[in-house]
Formats: sequence, structure tokens, C-alpha cells
Amino acid sequence: MPFSSVYNLPPNDADSNQMSWLSAKTLRRGRPVTDSGFNPYEMAQAQFDSGAEVLGLDRGAREILRVPLREYQFSIPIRMDDGSVGVYRGFRVQHNDARGPCKGGIRFHPAETIDTVRALAMWMTWKCAVVDIPLGGGKGGVVCDPHNLSMREQEQICRGWVRQLAKNVGPVTDIPAPDVMTSSQHMLWMLDEFEHICGGHYPGFITGKPVGMGGSLGRTEATGYGVIFTLREALRELGIDPDKTTASVQGFGNVAQFAIELYQQIGGKVICVSCWDQADQQAYSFSNPEGIDLKALKGITNRFGDIDKAKAKELGCEILDGEAWLGQDADILIPAALENQITGENVERISKKVKIIAEGANGPTTPEADHAIQSRDIFVIPDFLANAGGVTCSYFEQVQSNANYYWEKDDVLSRLDLKMTAAFAAVSELSRKRKLYMRDAAYVIAVDRVAQACRDRGWV
Amino acid sequence: MNPSERNQGGYQDVKNLLQQLQERARELNCLYRVEEALGDPRATIADICSEIIKAIPAGWQYPEVCVARIRIDDNSFSSPSFSESDWVQRADILSGDVKVGDICVYYTREMPERDEGPFLREESKLIQTIADRIGHRIMHHRLRAILDQTEDGAKASESEHKGEWQVVVQMLKQTDRKLYLSVSRKMLNHLCWSGIEEADQLMKTFTPDPHETDVDMMEDMNQPHQRRSIGYSSELCKSVFRIAFENLADRDILRLIQKWIQEDKLAFLVQVVNRNLSLSEVADAIRRYHYLAENEPEIESPNKRGIEVSLIRRFLSDQLPYINVAKQFIEVHDFFELIGNVVYSSESHGKLGGKSAGMYLASQILKHKAADNELLTEVKIPKTYYVTSDVLLQFMHFNNFDEVVEQKYKPISQVRFEYPHIVQTFKNGRFPAEIAKSLSVAMDDFGEQPLIVRSSSLLEDRVGAAFSGKYKSLFLANQGTKQQRLEALMDAIAEVYASTFGPDPIEYRTERGLLDFGEEMGILIQEVVGTRVGKYYLPSFAGVAFSRNEFRWSPRIKREDGLIRLVPGLGTRAVDRLSDDYPVLIAPGQPGLRASSTPDEVVRYSPANLDVINLETNSFDTIPLREFVREVGDQLPTIEYIVSLFKEDRIRSVSALTGVTDQNDELVVTFEGLISRTPFVSQIKAILDTLESTMGMPVDIEFAHDGRDFYLLQCRAQSYSKTSTPAPIPKGTPREQVVFTANKYISNGSIQNITHIVYVDPQKYSDLPDRASILAVGRAVSFLNKVLPKRKFILMGPGRWGSRGDIKLGVSVTYSDINNTAALIEIARKKGNYVPDLSFGTHFFQDLVEADIRYLPLYPDEKDIVFNDRFLAGSENLLPELAPDFAELKDTIRLIEVPKSASGRVLCIHMNADLEEAIGFLAYPSQESVSTPAQVESKPVLQEHFWRWRLYMVECIARQIDPHRFGVVNLYVLGSTKSATAGPSSDIDILVHFRGSDEQLDLLRNWLEGWSLCLAETNYSQTGYRTGGLLDVHIVTDEDIANNTSWAAKIGAITDAARPLTLGESNED
Repeated sequence: MPFSSVYNLPPNDADSNQMSWLSAKTLRRGRPVTDSGFNPYEMAQAQFDSGAEVLGLDRGAREILRVPLREYQFSIPIRMDDGSVGVYRGFRVQHNDARGPCKGGIRFHPAETIDTVRALAMWMTWKCAVVDIPLGGGKGGVVCDPHNLSMREQEQICRGWVRQLAKNVGPVTDIPAPDVMTSSQHMLWMLDEFEHICGGHYPGFITGKPVGMGGSLGRTEATGYGVIFTLREALRELGIDPDKTTASVQGFGNVAQFAIELYQQIGGKVICVSCWDQADQQAYSFSNPEGIDLKALKGITNRFGDIDKAKAKELGCEILDGEAWLGQDADILIPAALENQITGENVERISKKVKIIAEGANGPTTPEADHAIQSRDIFVIPDFLANAGGVTCSYFEQVQSNANYYWEKDDVLSRLDLKMTAAFAAVSELSRKRKLYMRDAAYVIAVDRVAQACRDRGWV
Repeated sequence: MNPSERNQGGYQDVKNLLQQLQERARELNCLYRVEEALGDPRATIADICSEIIKAIPAGWQYPEVCVARIRIDDNSFSSPSFSESDWVQRADILSGDVKVGDICVYYTREMPERDEGPFLREESKLIQTIADRIGHRIMHHRLRAILDQTEDGAKASESEHKGEWQVVVQMLKQTDRKLYLSVSRKMLNHLCWSGIEEADQLMKTFTPDPHETDVDMMEDMNQPHQRRSIGYSSELCKSVFRIAFENLADRDILRLIQKWIQEDKLAFLVQVVNRNLSLSEVADAIRRYHYLAENEPEIESPNKRGIEVSLIRRFLSDQLPYINVAKQFIEVHDFFELIGNVVYSSESHGKLGGKSAGMYLASQILKHKAADNELLTEVKIPKTYYVTSDVLLQFMHFNNFDEVVEQKYKPISQVRFEYPHIVQTFKNGRFPAEIAKSLSVAMDDFGEQPLIVRSSSLLEDRVGAAFSGKYKSLFLANQGTKQQRLEALMDAIAEVYASTFGPDPIEYRTERGLLDFGEEMGILIQEVVGTRVGKYYLPSFAGVAFSRNEFRWSPRIKREDGLIRLVPGLGTRAVDRLSDDYPVLIAPGQPGLRASSTPDEVVRYSPANLDVINLETNSFDTIPLREFVREVGDQLPTIEYIVSLFKEDRIRSVSALTGVTDQNDELVVTFEGLISRTPFVSQIKAILDTLESTMGMPVDIEFAHDGRDFYLLQCRAQSYSKTSTPAPIPKGTPREQVVFTANKYISNGSIQNITHIVYVDPQKYSDLPDRASILAVGRAVSFLNKVLPKRKFILMGPGRWGSRGDIKLGVSVTYSDINNTAALIEIARKKGNYVPDLSFGTHFFQDLVEADIRYLPLYPDEKDIVFNDRFLAGSENLLPELAPDFAELKDTIRLIEVPKSASGRVLCIHMNADLEEAIGFLAYPSQESVSTPAQVESKPVLQEHFWRWRLYMVECIARQIDPHRFGVVNLYVLGSTKSATAGPSSDIDILVHFRGSDEQLDLLRNWLEGWSLCLAETNYSQTGYRTGGLLDVHIVTDEDIANNTSWAAKIGAITDAARPLTLGESNED
């Protein structure tokens, strides 16, 4: 079942995830669609089933991995600003902790359902496993719309959530993080409540904290850098000298900017970036065959990543339509903006020159486009792997918090390099050995690692 | 003794009880002795105090160390061994409400700690009781003394007064006969009222029996009454005073006569205001009254109320609702203060105008209500001078501009062309000397404070707030020498005057039938609230507030919660809708519920620019906020309440240590500190509530804050933009013509002449088999948004428009995918036994507000709600033809061309928040929107000539185009010109089917560009709308047509198709 990335998440958030999908014909099977439309959990299970098929997993492993190990559903009563009582439904799903404590975000969403949370928890398990960090997968949520809640009321919900679950979460069991409509502020409220209940300081209980309050340096850079670490490895394997490559990037937000920074450091030349223009309500591409000047471009970009068109012209950029980034004669495409950007309709615009697509964004490629890309033999570093820098850095935050010792930024980034490089190598090797599409190889390797851990523990 | 003590039981209990009883006995004993001392009627205060001092120690727990002191005025009485110590209990002695002394009880050394230091709670009550008793005694004593004195005096003066009044009466008789007669008449009345027989008799001798009159009246309704001569002679007067002398005390007579004479002083004021004398005479009378009344106790009289009403009518407004409220809050003395700030000439008869009147009344109301509500005490009004409305005419007359008045009867294009000339003429005019002099005085008062010169039109008062904003408001930096500043001020006033003859107000007045109304316009010269920060001058923050919230972003917000649009710097950015910037929105009743909730939204929808007065360049500037803060931000008072830091995904308050200037990149305007750490929001709420309840209608205010004080700048009945006036809900519309109704979370407004409905069927949407189809719905809507006539279609869909994550909840679109719709409608269909939450447009709420796209939630499954499934699901669906790419979604998305499916009718949506009702119904297209009582405002939505002229012009273009030269195969018109919905600012959309070389394309573009600019200029002269060019040219090639891509799809489209035009002959042929 094609399952495009859909769960609206802050793009750089480490623990928030968007489900990717499997495209290889070998993996696409199952029956995800029910009569009443699709169900994300059933889709995740179907996806798993097809992966399990490839791996030839035994029945026990399939059964334990198909469903969450533990689920909590509970009510959170709070006192509203007007004195009335509001009762909110809370969830936590711990999908699998064979490889380590569960890790995953907490979503505030008005239409949260247990099935969504289950699906996302399962996805977290694979996401942690693909970069080989010793964490399992979890996800939580509260059915509420922060637009209808004051900050005080949201604080009450955060604290109420922790009160209900304090016994079942913690730095060695299950570690929450920010996700849809939750921020570092929510994490600090939750941490504070947890520490009050437990009577000590446990910064490792939660991640996504601000620097100085138990957060990790390098978080801003992590996702963008992670994309380039894997890209560098891909180039090495393909025997291409980064110095001689050019790239075209979609987006000019946090991920894109740091990806460009590191890509230029390893010698590459970015010839085009595209970004959204709020005033015109449309996207534009900014191209310069001589290579864009990152610093100058950042100087004329507002904090939402909108580049000033007039000033960009002065910098020698040609202003093109929003999709033009895709058609550039570049060696590398880095979609680092939104989901569903490379579609069946525009995939033909991709230049013959393109050799690698590194998916910085979540789910930037639709199934139809992916099929075309695969048949053109373009090397894809799937989002799942390419943007795992975020979750890896979350893991580092937790390690530092538990040790109560915080690393320098260089430390964080060089360790990130090691993790990403190793993760890429493993996926790529499997892809070659088993002749799997990279996207499928990444998924399969993750499932295999978790299944192995279950076996090692004697569960199955 | 509290219950827990009682429960302890046992010996300890009994002991405690005994101890407490002893305490009580001691207290009572003390009180008895105090009462005894007070009870002696002959005792002096000194005697009493000495006695009490002796009695006090016995009433306290430790008499041996207890000393006391009583101080009354300058006298002090104390225990023999009195000395002060740290252990003291104190109570004030009050006589009436005035503190006259105090009483203190000291322990000379430290005693065990009890309820209040070493003292018991009962002892504190005791000392208070004693102080009260002494206070009463003192009051009694003093009253007695005063009474004795007056009685003595009265006895002594009885003989003096005797006859004194007769002297007064004599004097009157000789000097002011009119007053003499009036006093005598009043005396007769008084005597009759007092029931004196003789007076009654006297009355009858010259007035008929009232009962007889009644009978007369009844019988002879249609005949004039016989006139009876009232011979009110000196004789009669004499008799009256004789009777008075015989029946009343001399003292009373004198008092009465004095009162009547004083009332008479008011009479001159009555005459002045009622006789339509000039303002200067009225002002003189007010001053005279003020100084007269200043020295004498004020007397209540019906006359006074009458005078106040007359003055209100004279200066402020003759609208009855206004007067009704104003008379409760404005007194004669207030006018004395007001006239000091009014600029007028000797022959002025004008008023101050609507804006001034509104603001003045609001300030008076708040001043009066401040006594009951502390939050209102801090509200200030900037220093203001008022130029009366007829000074404009005097100015014109003085300069011989009289014929300009005829300007309004000229064709609008001529008005527009001549307007710049009139502005210059006015600016070169001179003010009459006395006006110039008054302005100069005002200037001295203002000093170098920046000023704003605003119009205050009489029409504003008449047609409601809607008229405001049509005339100019000008900011003056007001720097330089006095002469320069005065000239700049007069220059600004002249320019505001000239704006009376500007094309916009004249057009507006023509439309409303107000053209023949006189052009009088008052002027408000107001100090700009703010502080100097670097080279800039600006308030810390400013904005507008509405007592009714018409843009609720959460179902928890009620209309009564109100709305604040808040910006840093001058409030101009809050008043106008901005397309590229956002004010901070707050509902004062629910300050915790913010329109922007996640950090991303807060940052995205925060003000990015601010308006300031640049004192160096003497100009009004808009500057980027971040630049400003980098330069001088830390000097702006209360900056820490205005901005927050956005760091690592979190919004935090600014720390006092780090300041703001060096944190620039992460600054974001949130007003978080202002909202959560100051009473600002409650203050605004109190102001709105007070004004709304007093004036009996929703209000809006403008305000500014300079970091120290809150200033009210304007107050008026809540204004509604053209589209947000409460619309009437038509009753009795045939059921089949109602498309939907709603009765929850309704805002005000109406949308007319909707030609297309895009309806996403909720059930079908939730049945979609996969995510790809769901996403395709979003893309289809986006496509339709581009091709359907702008603001002439509505989007109706399930649940939450703009869902990003769980897109099953609502169509996944961004703002750019829906930005041309007239309304966004969310449908909450029951699922099982629950109704899904709607988004209220939260995903792009502020964008909707600024673009005036209406939002409406529908709950079709609730009681008494109509939801016309038959029309929505049964009408012909044009989607497959118009958007073949999305044809497979035809079950889910229905595109209805309303006139086609409803035999020529279009859809109208009327929303009325007062009734909490809305209706979408089918009606024949109207050239003018349905008129409503409240809709003096609503502009005719369509005007024939806008599209006719456009169509005529494109036909011209088509005829003159040379197909061979330009490679043009066909030319089409589409959009609003084709659909006859073009307004004054509409583009002309043309579609060119092009088949030629690049050179030809360039040539064609240039040729059309020339037309475009020329048409834009012509359009400007007719309508006043400036556009860069009027033609919106879409070029399509053979290939486009073959592929049927977006614009090409318009050719031969099933709905809203492009209309082909007849091309001209080729020259080469």
C-alpha cells in the first residue's frame, strides 16, 4: 500500500516521524484499505507484513512486532481557566523495547486516535533501529487542540499526562519528546512534573529540551548535516568526487541551510535552491550556475526561509518557477522542504544528469514518482535514513542527560558522523547484496535488527 | 474557641476555658468603665480621655505592663508611667469620616507571642470599640457646639434679617423689574404649595380655577380658548410679599429669594444657547456662568439639565441617542474646560464633529465611572484641540475658494483630476487672523510634541462610523521654530480640508445620497502619544479594540469576549488590514486563548514592521521592527513586555539582564509580558464593558500607550467593514431555495452573488480509499481556486480545512490553495454519536482575517437546521469538464454553477451574529445588495459600467490586433470581465492563443503592455484604483491547448469558459 508521509510534524524534530512507504514491488502487498477508508495502523502493519515476508521472519517474531508491547490509555482531568473541568484523553504506546528504552514524541492533536499512535510508535522502532541506536519505539498523544487552550491549560495537560504515567515512563523505560503541536516548553513542564514525583533530577526522562536545561548542542545542525554525511558516503561508494558535483536543493529552512553548508564544505556546488514566498503565496527557485553564496543568501532570508527576490537578483540569481529546482542539470537533488514534492506529474522534469536524490524532507517523493526514479536507476538515500540525524541527536541528548555531562558541539557532530556513516554503510551493503532498492533495504535492515534483539532476549 | 480546641477534652480544656472567661470578664469590666466615663454629659473630652486611660490596662491581658495614650487633635493624654515600646496596638479615632486622633496601647516589655504580637484578637476589637466610642462622643460634642452657635446667631440676627429681604425686594423692584415680577410669581406659587389659604385666594383672582379649565378644554376642543388677561400688577406683588411676611419666617423668605435670583443667573445661559448665538457668545456665557457659580454652592435645577442638553446639542451632536447618554455625564462646567481647547472664529456656529464628540463622551463616561472601577482611573486622553466644523467654510470664504463647493457636482473623473490642484490651492490658502491666532495659542500649549491632525466630519456623526477613514489624517513631527511648526500645522489642516473635495468622499456621498449635505468638517488636533526613541517618535504600543469579537478563532471565545488588534508603534498598522503583516490578536475576555498557538504560528503571525514618526526627516515611516530594535530597541519603554525570544522552538520572555538589542535574531513581538504580567487586558476589558453598557451599543476604541499611561484616542459605535455588517435573515424563503442554515458560532456579514459552489461531500470524502485520492482532493481545490472567478465562489468541505497530518479530517490545503474563495465553510456531520471538531480556520486564521475571507461552520445534523443535500448533491457537477485531471474525484468534489442549477439564481449568504443565525439561499442576482436597516454602509456589490467598459475595451483591442504581425490565432476574454462581475479594481483577463516566433511574442507583449498601462491610467481616473497595468495576459500555445493545461482549459470550458473575441484584419493581407 502506498503510504505517503503525512503526519504533520516539525521537520527537524528528532523524534517526530512521518511514515514512509515501501515502493518496491516485492514489498507492496497486504490489504491496508478497509471499508471505511484507510487506517494508519493497518497500513503500518501491512507494510511490516511485506517486510517480514522479505526477511522470512518466523511467526513469533511477526506476532510480537506486528502489535505494540504495551499501551496506555487514560483520562487527564484539568481545571480550565474559567473554573470548569476539562477531561482529555491521553495515550502512550510502547511498541517495542527489545533494543532499549522506548523513544518517541508526544502529539497534541484534536483527532488523535490510538491507531495513529500505534502506527507512529511502530515507525519509531524502525527509525531508531535503522541508525542502530539502542532505543525502542514509542509514541504518545493527547486528544486536544492547543488552539483552543491557554498555555496554563496546556501546562495542566502536560503535568496530568506525566502524573498518569510516571510509573511507566522514565529515562530507562520510555523517553518522550516534542512532536506535533508540542514544543520544548511542554517538555520542560513534563520533566518538572516527573522530577517532582520521583524526587530527583532525571533530565534523561525527556528530550528536545533547550540547551542549558538539559538539551544538546548541535541539534539545529543535526538533520541537515546527517543528510550530507550519508550523501558523502553515497558519493564515495559511487566513486564520484564531491568536488566535481553540483546539487539543487528544495527549501531554504533549517535542514536545507545546514545541508548546503556541509555540502559546500565537502567541495560541492549548489546551483539552485527553491523556497516559498509568503507574500506571493507561491514558491520560486533561485538558480546560479556559478554556485550560490550561502552566506549572502542567508543574509536576505527571513526567519521562515523566504528569500528576498529583488535582492537575490542583485546577487546574480535567476528567479525561476517553484518547481525549477527539480529540472536543474545537477548531479544531486536534495528535497528538504515538504512531503509529496516529487510527483508522478513532475518526475519527468528530473535531468538526465541527476545521479543521487538525498531525501532531507519527510516523504518528499510520491509512490508514482518513486517508481519512475527507481526505473531510471537514480540512487536514492531514503528519508528514513537520510534525515535520521535528528533522532540520533535526540539519543545523544539522552545519553548526555543521563550522564549529566554535556559535550561540545564538535563532539556531537563528529559522533553523529560516525553513526550516520555506519548506518549508511549497512543499508547500502544490504541493498547491494540482496538487490533491494535503498528505501526497502533501510526498512528491512531495521526490522531485522529489532527481530534479532527479540530473539536474543529469548522472547521469540 | 474553635472546634478542634473543643475536642481536646480533659483538664487542659477546662483550664483554657477558665482563662478565656477571665479574659472576657476583664474586657467587659474595662468597657463598663469606658462607657461610664463617656456617659457623663457634663464631662469634657479631656475628662473623658483621662478616665479611659485609667480604665484601659484592666482590660488587657497583662495590666501590669500595659500603658495607654490617647491623642486628639493636638492634645495628648497618657498613663502616668507612659513610654513607647515595640509592642503596640493602635486604633484611629474618627469623627464623621475624619481622623481626629488615635489611641495606642503599649506593653512596656516583651510578653509571650499571641494572636497579634503579644496581643489577643479580642484586645484588638476592644481598642477599636473604645476608639469608635470616643469618636462618636467627639462628633456629638462638635455638632452640639455648632448648633448652639447657630441658634445663638439666629436669635441675634432674626431682628437683623427682619426687613433685610424687604430691602432686597425693594432693590429688585427698582432695578430689575422683570426679575422682581418673576420672584414674586415664584413666591406666590410657593405660598400656594405651602397650603396658605390667602395665597390660594389671591391666585384665583387672576387665574381661573384649574378644574374649570379642564372642563373648558374638554368641551371646546376645536375652539381657541378665551384669553384672560393676567393682571399681574405691582399691587399683586405687594400682596404676595405681605402674605409671605405674615406666614413665613424672614430667614426663609430671604433664602428663597436668594435661590430664585441665582436661578435667574442661569437664565442668560438658557437664552444664549437656545437663541443660536455665535459660539463666541456661548463661550462667553459659559465662562460668565462658571465664574459666577464658582463662588456659590451649586443648585440642582431642571434648568441646568436643559442647559446641558442645549450645550451638548450645540457643541457635540444633535443625535438623540448621543444626547441621551451624554447628558448624564457632561455638565456645564465640563464645557468650560472644553471651550478652552476649541478653536473658532467670532462668528462660528459649528460643532466639533463626530470623531471629537465620540471621544469626548467616552472620556467623560470613563471619568465618571472611574469611581466604581479602579481599572478606569488610569485612562488618559491626549491633549486635544478642536477646530469647529464651520471654520472650513470661513477658510474657503476668506480665500475666495467658495466655488470649490460646486466640485462635488462635477463628473467623478474631473473631480479626480482636479483634486491635486485643489489640494495645492488649499495649501496655499491663508487662515483668517483670529483662527491663526487661536492655532498659535494651541501651538504654544503643544510645544514640540508630534501631532496628528484628523478630520472629524459631521457626516460621521450622521451616517455612523463607516464614513471615517474617507478623509485624511496627517501626522506632524512638529519640530523646528514655532513659525515653522505653526505653518506646518496650518498646511496640514488645509490639506485635510481639501480632502473633503477628494474623489473618494464625493463618490461615497453620491452613492449614499449624501451629496447635498453641507461640507462642514471639524478638525481634531491631537498630541501623538509616545516617546522619543533615537530619531523616532512612537508609542510603545497601540491598537484598536472591539467590544464584540467578530473573528472568533476558537469555539470557546464568545462574541462578548471582544477583540484587540495590537501592534508596536503607531496604531495605524492595527487599524488597517494588512496583507503582508499581522497585528497580535487578543480576546480580552479570554486572554489565554490566542489565535496563534504553536511557536511556529506565533512567529509567523507576529508584527514585522512598525510605524513611527521620524523626527529628523519630519516624516511618517514604516520600518522593519528588527532593524528598529537593533538600533534603539532597548530605549523603548516596556519593550520587555512587547517582545519575547524565540529560541530552540520555544517562546520565552526577555531577561532583564540580557536586554533586547543584542538578541535581535530571535526577537518576536508577542506582547506576552503585557498580557500576563500587567493589568492591560483587564483594563481594556473594563473600558469596553463600561462604554458598551453605558452607550447601550457595541463600541470600538483606538488606544495608545507610551509605556507609562494608557491613552484613549477614539471611541465610536463598533464599525463594521462592508462585508461584516449584521445581515438580515430573510424569513419565509421557500425551503428548496435554502441551501443551508446555521445557528452556532456565527459572525456578521453577507456575501452576495456567489456563482460557484465547490462542495466536498463529507461522507464521500471519508470513504476515499487511499491517501493519494485524499491528497488529490486538495490539489483539485487548489486548481479550482485558480480558475474560478475570484471571490465569487465558496468552498464547502468536511471538518477541518487545511489539515496537514490527519488529512482525513479535512481537505489538505494551504492558504494559497484557497485564497480566492469568498467563504470557507466547514461541515461537521455527525459520525455515530459524536460531532467532529471544526478547525475554525486555525490553520490560516489570520490570513483569512486580513483577506476578509468569511468563515462559517455548519452542523447539518442538528435540530432546526436546513442542509439542502438535494441541491448540493443533486445539481449538475461540472468538475469532470472543468478539471478533467480530477474527473475521478467527481463523486467527492462537486462543482456547482449556481445559476445553471438554480434557474438563474445565485447564492447569497447572510450571517447575523446578533441573532446567532446564518442562511445560504438562492436568489436572483442583485445589482445592489439587499438593503437593511444597518446597511447604509453596504456598497452596491456590482456596478454595471465596470465590466461593460472593460468588455468594450477588450473588444477594441481584439479589433485592432494584427493577427499576422503578432502571431495571434485567437483572443479570449475571461474572468470578471466576462462574467460581468468586474469591480473598479478588477484586472481584465485575456487569453491569447499564440502561434509564432519569440520575436513576435515579444512584440505582442510590448503592444499589450502599452494597452495595459493606458487602460490602467484611464481606470484610475474613473475609479481611483491604481494598478500597475490593467491587462492580465495569459498566453497559451497549441501544445497547451492539446494538453488542456490550466489556462488552455478555459477555452471551451463547461463553466466560466473563456469567450472568444473577433480579431481585426491583418494589415499584410
